[in-house]
Amino acid sequence: MGTNVMPSGEELLRFLPEMILAIFAVLVMLWESRHDEHGERPGMPAFALIGLGLAAAASIVAGAAPGYAFRNMLVVDSFATFFRLLLMGIGAMAVMTASPFLRARKAEGGEYYSLILLSLIGQSLMAASNELIMVFIGIEISSISSYVLAGYLKDDKRVNESALKYFLLGSFATGFLLYGVSWIYGLTGSTNLNEIASILGNADIAPDAVLTGAATALILAGLCFKVSAFPFQSWAPDVYQGAATPVGAFLSAAPKAAAFATLLRVFLTAFDPMADRWLPLLIVVALLTMVIGNLAALWQTDVKRILGYSSIANAGYVLVAVAAHSTLGISAVLFYLAAYSVMNFGAFAVVSLREETELKDFEGLAKRQPATAALMTVFMASLIGLPMTAGFFGKFYIFQSAIDAELYWLAGLGLLTSAVAAFYYLRVIAAMYMKPSPEGAPEMAVPAASQQAVMFVAAALTIGFGIFPGWLLDWATRSSGLLR
Amino acid sequence: MPNQPDLQLWLILFFPLLGALINGTLGRRLPKTVISAIAIGTVALSFLWVVRSLSELGQLDKPHIERYFNSIASGDLKIGFDLSVDRLSSIMLLVVTGVGTLIHVYAVGYMDHEEGFWRFFSYLNLFMFFMLILVLAQNFLLLFVGWEGVGLCSYLLIGFYFLEKFAGDAAKKAFIVNRVGDFGFSLAMLLMVVQFGSLDMTTVFSTASKLPVETSGGVVTAVALLLVVGACGKSAQVPLYVWLPDAMAGPTPVSALIHAATMVTAGVYVVARSSEVFLKAPVAMEVVAVIGMITAVVAALIGTAQNDIKKVFAYSTVSQLGYMFVGLGVGAFSAGIFHVVTHAFFKALLFLGAGSVIHALHGEQDLSNMGGLRSKIPIMYWTLMTAAVAIAGVWPFAGFHSKDAILLAAHAHAPWMYWVGVVTAGLTAFYVFRAMFLCFFGEYRGKAHPHESPAIMYMPLVVLALLSVGGGYLPVMDWLAPLYPAHEHPHDMSLILISVGFAMAGIFAAYYIYVLNPGSADGYAKSLGGVYRAIAGKFYVDEAYDAAIVHPIEQGSRAVLLDGVEDVVVQGGVGATVGVTRWTGGMLRLLQSGNIRSYAVYALLGAVIFLGVMASSGGAR
Amino acid sequence: MYLLIALFLPLVVFLACLTALRKSQQMAFTASLFAAGVSLLASLAMIPEVMQNPTKLSQATSVNWIPYPPIHFSVGVDGLSLWLIAVTALLTVVAVVMSSGRDSMFLGWLLLLEAGIVGVFAAQDLFLFFVFFELTLLPVLFLMGQYGKDSGKATSMGATIKFFVFTFAGSVLMLAAMTYLFLKAGTFDYQNILLQVQAGSFRLSPAEQMPLFLAFFLAFAVKTPLFPFHAWQADAYATAPSPLGIVMAGLMGKLGTYGLLRFCLPLFPNAARECAGWINGLAILAILYGALVAIVQPNIKRLLAFSSLSHLGFVVLGIFSFHINGLDGAAYQMVCHAVTTGALFVLAGVLEERKGSCEISAFGGLASRTPWLATTFLIAALASSGLPALNNFVGEYLILQGAAFAGFGYAAAAGIGVILSAVYLLWMYQRTFLGPNPDEATADLSTQEAIAIGPLIVLMIWMGVSSGNFLPVQSAVNQKILQQTKMNVEFRVAAPVAAEAVHGN
Repeated sequence: MGTNVMPSGEELLRFLPEMILAIFAVLVMLWESRHDEHGERPGMPAFALIGLGLAAAASIVAGAAPGYAFRNMLVVDSFATFFRLLLMGIGAMAVMTASPFLRARKAEGGEYYSLILLSLIGQSLMAASNELIMVFIGIEISSISSYVLAGYLKDDKRVNESALKYFLLGSFATGFLLYGVSWIYGLTGSTNLNEIASILGNADIAPDAVLTGAATALILAGLCFKVSAFPFQSWAPDVYQGAATPVGAFLSAAPKAAAFATLLRVFLTAFDPMADRWLPLLIVVALLTMVIGNLAALWQTDVKRILGYSSIANAGYVLVAVAAHSTLGISAVLFYLAAYSVMNFGAFAVVSLREETELKDFEGLAKRQPATAALMTVFMASLIGLPMTAGFFGKFYIFQSAIDAELYWLAGLGLLTSAVAAFYYLRVIAAMYMKPSPEGAPEMAVPAASQQAVMFVAAALTIGFGIFPGWLLDWATRSSGLLR
Repeated sequence: MPNQPDLQLWLILFFPLLGALINGTLGRRLPKTVISAIAIGTVALSFLWVVRSLSELGQLDKPHIERYFNSIASGDLKIGFDLSVDRLSSIMLLVVTGVGTLIHVYAVGYMDHEEGFWRFFSYLNLFMFFMLILVLAQNFLLLFVGWEGVGLCSYLLIGFYFLEKFAGDAAKKAFIVNRVGDFGFSLAMLLMVVQFGSLDMTTVFSTASKLPVETSGGVVTAVALLLVVGACGKSAQVPLYVWLPDAMAGPTPVSALIHAATMVTAGVYVVARSSEVFLKAPVAMEVVAVIGMITAVVAALIGTAQNDIKKVFAYSTVSQLGYMFVGLGVGAFSAGIFHVVTHAFFKALLFLGAGSVIHALHGEQDLSNMGGLRSKIPIMYWTLMTAAVAIAGVWPFAGFHSKDAILLAAHAHAPWMYWVGVVTAGLTAFYVFRAMFLCFFGEYRGKAHPHESPAIMYMPLVVLALLSVGGGYLPVMDWLAPLYPAHEHPHDMSLILISVGFAMAGIFAAYYIYVLNPGSADGYAKSLGGVYRAIAGKFYVDEAYDAAIVHPIEQGSRAVLLDGVEDVVVQGGVGATVGVTRWTGGMLRLLQSGNIRSYAVYALLGAVIFLGVMASSGGAR
Repeated sequence: MYLLIALFLPLVVFLACLTALRKSQQMAFTASLFAAGVSLLASLAMIPEVMQNPTKLSQATSVNWIPYPPIHFSVGVDGLSLWLIAVTALLTVVAVVMSSGRDSMFLGWLLLLEAGIVGVFAAQDLFLFFVFFELTLLPVLFLMGQYGKDSGKATSMGATIKFFVFTFAGSVLMLAAMTYLFLKAGTFDYQNILLQVQAGSFRLSPAEQMPLFLAFFLAFAVKTPLFPFHAWQADAYATAPSPLGIVMAGLMGKLGTYGLLRFCLPLFPNAARECAGWINGLAILAILYGALVAIVQPNIKRLLAFSSLSHLGFVVLGIFSFHINGLDGAAYQMVCHAVTTGALFVLAGVLEERKGSCEISAFGGLASRTPWLATTFLIAALASSGLPALNNFVGEYLILQGAAFAGFGYAAAAGIGVILSAVYLLWMYQRTFLGPNPDEATADLSTQEAIAIGPLIVLMIWMGVSSGNFLPVQSAVNQKILQQTKMNVEFRVAAPVAAEAVHGN
């Protein structure tokens, strides 16, 4: 490889989004310090949003000219671009839902926004990294800021507990990952995905199968933790429920999306040659993840927790598409992640309006806040997978890819568990519409403009993708070609 | 049939239907005179139209068919709204419309004080409509329409006094028992289509006539037997006769028209109509004969112990229908139909007369509260006596000719049937005259003040009385002869004398017991002991049915199906599935202890499993 | 064009009711009545075109909806769907009339339900069919859950969730099967698939057909419902608000039977013929079981639920008789049963409205004071019990005829159901309207109720007397379906073929 260390202009361009995010992360905090302790601190969300907007724009520009950067450590292809934009969107929603939420709790601080931006840096790196070390760095950047985010609202006990869990288990899993990476380096002498692929693909120079298998297993385990797949899912409900609602929303969307991006890229490039070995495992994992997510959710009475379990189940669906191991599958993953982020965030946004998030706290909501209830219904319908919603097409594309890959049993059982899921989502709707509001129910916070914006946009997209999934799927399909 | 004159047969149906519609919709606002005018007028019109059509048709050597529109067309199966008249249906038409008109006239007087007058007559007209469809139908499906239609009207009219529980029950019973018969009938139709590919009578019969005689049963026999099941329901034959006695809950004109003269003879009509089929199925013929025989005897026996005057005549009807079946069964179709005709006359007369008596006694039906009415309502007395003599089968009255035609045929077929027949004839004479004597002779035992009925009520009776006297000389059998294979049997004088002898004996017995020494009846009853109780208890058939069918169905459905299958199996099955799912969920949820250490352990275990799987899969390579 | 009106006008008004008209109930009612009425007229306007060529797709519209997988918004009407769409529109009008005074949302949901059902009958693209099929769940969810009233042990909420999860779980596998078909045939367009079958370019081996068939069958069997998949039915019918009951009892079941007839037979002839035996067995079980349980139901709506179970058993029996008479009977019975049951639910609603309950024990002796209510009820009951000259008779007779060809035992067993139907219906009628202690308080049919019930009564008689005006178009399509079941059939099951042979000569 060449000796020049100075990255070229286009290489920098390919890294621009992350740089923008970093700059704004700092700016937000500077801006905050210009105000006194107690006074209102306007404009920080705006700052964050501008940053996200610019980053998104940058990603588009960068995406226009696909290619590698920094000695093939980064790869910016349509796939990466898709995820970058998705992540920026999630970030935007996280900002908009959070600011009124935090203000209401007198807890709005610049660090929140900068943490969001920082973790997004890590995640968009994950999506674009072509290199196991980069993967690890990305994950770490993302995780560490996530841990802190999970601990936001320090004075709440539950928050702290969940943050601690997240941190300990998270680092535990990252341990696996790093260990696996080092093994691979030891075995193949490379951490570059394409090189690893070419080595593993070449029977003459391929290292010992058992050891590579073990290494792959460790990396897979690490990523499965990040996507909260069985048997590494246990932390998810506690964390999502424990964390402040907007944070929970963010954590259940962004890191997951990034992790899936990594999973796809790493296993469909580096470990693709040995696909026939990890696919069976992945199939079983997918199935069990769907089962545990959907069945355990049946018992939950707390809406946040229900959403926590549902995020596990949904991870299971996505894994089905990954297991399909085809471009059809990849595009299904992209579509579903987008759809899921939207509907899931919408649901969380509604939940974030309430102090108490037990099912009974939503009883009679239809009478008190018909609009909010209607929106929640849209998100629930989409999570159930009723026609005319994004969730429906998402599931359809996923199981189509599975059937196309002749994974009939996986598809059938998965669909059945998704039918079971209808039950617990329905309970939310039932609580809102079919139960009278309990005596002296606390009046629900009227959503602030930004929250309404999130909810309405989310609902609009949910239904929009549900009726005209065409262009999103189109984009997803175009982005499904990994640069190899 | 292009070459034949188009007689607009549909008008025969249309008039009564029109009456039913007008009275049914506007009736409540119309004055009684108008209602009765419409009711009688429409029926009379269709009677006239029948007469006109028949005079047009003359000899009717081959049936006159009029096809209107295709009612059902599916695949090769085409069923039209087709009407036809042949020699057989011509007779039925005259009887139905003729007697029908008379009874309508009578009913105007009888129902005068009833509220729901309009309802009654719209039902009655509707009945005429369906009955005429039944008679005119050219295919079995259309016949079935009339068949069930008359059943419906019977249901409505039996339940006319619907505020009385027993009326509702009797109506329901009639309809459902008939449904059992209709079940057989409809299966017969299904089988016909499968076998003959059509329901059109001409086609079916011509196809059937080409088939060989099934000496030991076969498809044709099956068709025939299924038709018999239907006939048994409509014509109240054993074992489906139980509804007819209860049907007396309806107003008396109804009993006369529907449950004596017309509807109940539909079964006989269908069998006679399908003679082509039955002639190929001797087994079925035999069944018909035996059923008829049993019915005749059983009903006659029960009739001897009834105290409700209408019940007596009801059982008598059942018994007489049994006679007709015997006639059909032994191959004397024309004799059977002949008996239908005469029976229509004298049984209608009996009922109308009974009705007048009841009317005269302000609703009293119990014979033990009558007596000595001979002088109080002479017209009734004389008309009823004519009917009684006629049904007893005394020469030269109507009943004599038809009954003896049947008995002679029976003798030619199997002598024992003849003997059972004549004994039954004696019984018939006995119970009818028992009723007569209890009603008109001795001392008046009731409280009400009997009064003679208005002319509008007794004029019809007089007409029917004349028919009951002379009806026997109507050339019915000669008219029908070409339709059926000739029945050659010597006109054996002795047999005739014997049967008449039995009749006279019956009459005398009744006279001896109930007139010469009244009150002696109970003594005889006691001496008979259990036999009498069984007879008086109608052989406990209803109770048996309740115990054997009704109860098991209702209790079974409730206990086994509703509480068992539905709640335990179906709902329980769902519950179990849900339960298992939730239980599994619960187990899985327990993994979610919230305890970091255990989470870490799972993660570790998971990683180990991953390692194991991947490594081994590598080794396997 | 007409079809699109019938399909979209209700949708538009539904949206209006949810948004603009939310507050103004009166306007919402007028609008809904208008929408329902117009879509009824539109569906009637389609008749002549379909009559001309029943087997050809009339009113066909097909626009690309989703590029990949190529899904078309492709709808059309043929002889089989024509009357079903018309009766859907009619019953919706009736339901709307019967829900005057209900709030805007209620009316809106009713219209969405109409759109969904019409869509199911009109869809010519498997995927679109599924979309509409599932879409019908949503309005039911709200109509039943929000406006239903508890009945005995069953809470409306419980019944709703049961119904929803049950039918939803039943149908998901159908989506999988459809996807398989798409991946194999390269299209979701049903007509296109059938053409490929005809050309022999698209063949499903018996081994492939069986699981696919079962996936479809399950979805439809739950929807119909067919014994023993009826667990949701009684509670749903009992708790549903009457206007919903009219549409649900009248039409929902037909979605299932229509699917069986339209898709299962032509697509999977081998599997269908292979399963015909035990499916007919289930159908007969449903007929007898439903009737027997209906006898002992203390609640009118529950009784009607089980009577529906019984009657739709007939329809299934007809379909799987594989004989033209059976298919015709089934198709005809679908429409007839919709009319009759719809009417019975209207009247049940009236009774409930009068007495605040549908427990039969709450009634008795009504007839003397409410002659019109009694008469209409009796006519509907008799029609439902298959009295000749009324509509259901034609359907049931043809079904039994078809069954008789498939095997006389089927007909005989099913025939008993006809007897029993008279038992439970007349007994209910007697306990409700006849008997001592006449009920003085109860009012007779109001004008508005009479308007709602009138057309249904007329149809019962019309369809009963001259099926010639309705049946032929259906029969033509059934002939075609029967042909399709014989295309590319690797093996034949003896019984039905033999029967046809007999029928032929």
